[in-house]
Amino acid sequence: MALMRALRMSLSAALCLVAISCGGGGGSSVGVGSGTSSPPPAGNNVASVIVDQGPTVNGSPIGSVNTLFTTITVCAPGSTTSCQTIDHIQVDTGSYGLRLLAPVLTLTLPVEKLANSSNSLVECTIFLDGYSWGPVVTADVQIGGETAQSLPVQVIGDSRFPTVPANCSGMGTAEDTVIAFGANGILGIGPFELGCGDCDTVTHGIYYACGTTCAETVVPTAMQEPNPVTRFAADNNGSIVDLPSVAPTGAVTLSGSLIFGIDTQSNNQSGPQTVLTVNGLAELTMTFLGQPLTNSFMDSGSNGIFFADSNIAPCTTTDTDFYCPGNTLTLALSIQGQNGVMVNNLTFGVGNAQTMLNNNPSFNVFPLLAGTIPAGNSGTFDYGLAFFYGKRVAVAVEGNKTSVGTGPYIAF
Amino acid sequence: MPIFRSGEIKITALLCTVLMTALGPRIAGATLGEPEITVQSDVAQFRASIKSSEVRVGYRIHEIQLPGGTLLREFVAPDGNVFAVAWNGPTPPNLRQALGKYFDAMISAPKPKFADHRHLQIQQGDLVVQGSGRMRAGFSGRAYLASAIPSGVNLGDLH
Repeated sequence: MALMRALRMSLSAALCLVAISCGGGGGSSVGVGSGTSSPPPAGNNVASVIVDQGPTVNGSPIGSVNTLFTTITVCAPGSTTSCQTIDHIQVDTGSYGLRLLAPVLTLTLPVEKLANSSNSLVECTIFLDGYSWGPVVTADVQIGGETAQSLPVQVIGDSRFPTVPANCSGMGTAEDTVIAFGANGILGIGPFELGCGDCDTVTHGIYYACGTTCAETVVPTAMQEPNPVTRFAADNNGSIVDLPSVAPTGAVTLSGSLIFGIDTQSNNQSGPQTVLTVNGLAELTMTFLGQPLTNSFMDSGSNGIFFADSNIAPCTTTDTDFYCPGNTLTLALSIQGQNGVMVNNLTFGVGNAQTMLNNNPSFNVFPLLAGTIPAGNSGTFDYGLAFFYGKRVAVAVEGNKTSVGTGPYIAF
Repeated sequence: MPIFRSGEIKITALLCTVLMTALGPRIAGATLGEPEITVQSDVAQFRASIKSSEVRVGYRIHEIQLPGGTLLREFVAPDGNVFAVAWNGPTPPNLRQALGKYFDAMISAPKPKFADHRHLQIQQGDLVVQGSGRMRAGFSGRAYLASAIPSGVNLGDLH
């Protein structure tokens, strides 16, 4: 504890030196305190990614915070002409599958039909803060130079299925517009193939068979939306998020690379990376303030660093679930994989959420944004996109071997 | 779970049995802000079963097993009204059912500035809704009426 107190007293000067100096990576950042600046590595397995203000709706950017985006091209199955390129697809290592918002989709894609009934397969995707209702279609999807043929993809808010079952709408707010969803789509590339481990045998209120009415259904795994990387012809054992470092105060944008495959090409070699394996829930252990938190995870889809520390003041006027300490804090953390491998001596910063936003309203990259974890999750440390800043993080999919380990794992 | 002194275990067990007998078949899902006993329709709505009922200092808890695997816990104040619900499992419960008349307040709340898909924090008048979770790992959360929390009950107990 004495160490923690001492650490907390050190301010941003120490942060500049300690927290944000670890790692390089391709890409460039724009804004105050730009980090490493180099072009993204070229290759047929590389897509550019950016943290910016998010998609534009009615002429105005929606204003994203710590949200990583890429661009994809979607084609009707088998077509090379009926295609659409869509920007601001969120890159999410905490979910599985590609989901697109119908309001930005100009193509009409074929809906999957359940074999035994010819009913349409429609999904109620739950992202906790609401529901996203729409059919599972198939499409040929290109990301970087890679292609997934006939990939199951959800179209959220598709007008062909306007009636939402009560058990789905009962989850909360509809997230079927770009503003409500926060992106034009989401690319789930977590360390598993599927987002539901048992939807082929159990109904969870996720998948529905829709004819004249909709009823909950089980779904063969081949019809569920997989992590698209697993359906590439090559470079399909995982992906690497490679982002440059950023100044503690943040930046307007941060650009980097999403590299597909691990140890499959010269640009995706593991080298000396440390492998931390995860359990079936994609969790590992982070130790914070001396407490091992066994339900912890790194997650590019979380916009802050979320953990419980009653010694840090929460914000008082708005966003009361975020932290607003009087001075910027530097805190210690260790991360241990299910394989027992421990990474010690990590530090992260916690800034005043209200001050950092007020001081730089044009910024979209905030490495020190942190918040509380709701009660009942006291065993969780959720290290969001800030974990990926200044790092090259590999996410290996379950069952796949690389030169340094077997997925599911996170390595950096 | 509470830690009982050994002498209290039998008393608690007895109370639980009494509660289960009196209320168990009918209470399988009370609704936020409504009386403990007036909720028989929730049983059918959730197609659920009651897993346990328990008396704690200052309140009672009914734990309900939903068909998809999610556990729903409902917290009943001494005045007989549900002042909090909490959940944990593969999917959240139907919140329109669990939150009752407070559901509309939840979905009409303004979108938080820092919204993402992993965290939920809503405060609308007396209603507080909090949650976290992600695909595959599952979801947990709670909703409570701030003014209805019985004195002496710690927010940290409501999960």
